[in-house]
Amino acid sequence: MSTLKKPDLSDPALRAKLAQGMGHNYYGEPAWPNDLLYIFPVVIFGTIGCCTALAVLDPALIGEPANPFATPLEILPEWYLWPVFQLLRVLPNKLLGIACMAGVPLGLLVVPFLENVNKFQNPFRRPVAMAVFLFGTVFTIYLGIGATMPIDKSLTLGLF
Amino acid sequence: MKLTLPLWQRSQRVLTKTLVVLLASVGIFFANDIAVPQSAAAYPFWAQQTYPATPREPTGRIVCANCHLAAKPTEIEVPQSVKPDTVFEAVVKIPYDLNAQQVTANGVKGPLNVGAVLMLPDGFKIAPEDRLSPELKEKTQGLYFQSYGEGKDNIVIIGPLPGDKYQEIIFPVLAPNPKTDKGIYFGKSQIHVGANRGRGQVYPTGEKSNNGVFNASVAGNVTSIAKQEDGSSQVTIQPATGDAVVDKVPAGPELLIAEGAVVTAGQAITNNPNVGGFGQKDIEIVLQNPDRILGLMAFVFMIMLSQVLLVLKKKQVERVQAAEMEF
Repeated sequence: MSTLKKPDLSDPALRAKLAQGMGHNYYGEPAWPNDLLYIFPVVIFGTIGCCTALAVLDPALIGEPANPFATPLEILPEWYLWPVFQLLRVLPNKLLGIACMAGVPLGLLVVPFLENVNKFQNPFRRPVAMAVFLFGTVFTIYLGIGATMPIDKSLTLGLF
Repeated sequence: MKLTLPLWQRSQRVLTKTLVVLLASVGIFFANDIAVPQSAAAYPFWAQQTYPATPREPTGRIVCANCHLAAKPTEIEVPQSVKPDTVFEAVVKIPYDLNAQQVTANGVKGPLNVGAVLMLPDGFKIAPEDRLSPELKEKTQGLYFQSYGEGKDNIVIIGPLPGDKYQEIIFPVLAPNPKTDKGIYFGKSQIHVGANRGRGQVYPTGEKSNNGVFNASVAGNVTSIAKQEDGSSQVTIQPATGDAVVDKVPAGPELLIAEGAVVTAGQAITNNPNVGGFGQKDIEIVLQNPDRILGLMAFVFMIMLSQVLLVLKKKQVERVQAAEMEF
């Protein structure tokens, strides 16, 4: 087994990198065994070590027994549900709220078809998709932050 | 020489000594009460009386909030993890504006008191005096931590304390040892704390205190406002039909209406004199097994060693590759 591609030592950029112990990607280091056999286990062990350390030092809380008759004082779902929870909370009509929740995945499904005439795949050349993505991200974060606030502040985030 | 004394004489000596000590301690106990009287009745007692089982409702609300209606922040600081059978500090912070004055029971303005209830996980309790470090002893001097009830040493109440001195209450807590205490396990558990400043708005019986808003009971004209000697007032409201209604307003809140005013039912006829409030907070603490830490350290060391060896081996292979050698 050998290195597949010799380093081009006439390249000054490569020479500078080699001087610092870098630049392996310049001369085609084989994935086997260098990465797959030696460096992958380093990363895997590191991950196992981190997980073990977290499990020992900060174990999961065994919560209180569930009581369906005791509504918590603060009704708030898991964090990833905050934006749609906020939709349900602020929309006065519950059916409208459900419709908007259903509209989230449906709207996302439509995005590629909206810009079907655009032949480019590069997101930077797909302005409609990009705009929907950016607006959607910002609006989702806004809704999620709003869900954690009292209802009278949740639309303005208490800023105005 | 003592040993030569007859038995009955020796036991008599012991008896007299014990009696003297007993008398002295009882004397000090009572003299102390006269010299330094408790400034106010312990209000947390009301919680103990009304909710004897636990001060925390199934919803997670601490029952103090049923009488102290205003919400104010409460903070707590505890270590992330503690070893078994060690003493640590739980610092409860009850911030408020020290210039604020509240109305007292007779309507006169006075400083605020603070109080707190700390619900520790099972097995945790207030550290006994002999376990405290001199530093911690000094910090907790004069604080009297009361257990919530028989067998509920993990629920501690304190107060009322003068708020200007105790915006920060330090609870010296002793962690249990799962090796000796049955039913206690290592792991993470929750601490609930509720802390209050100022008087409540409702008594446990449901009566309103004078530290809150009073509302008109009916719609109508205010025909007379009669001031009483004790500072309270009687507001007479004449509705459009029917008899006049007298609303009593105790001393403390200030009337916002004058005679002849027209009020609607439920309209606030006084200001809100309350400056205090109650806040609660949940926090987590890990009861950590030191053996697990040692095991983790050994495990992480082995991982790091194998990582280093893997990298070294890779470096060796690279050199072989560079020399284009085959194994």
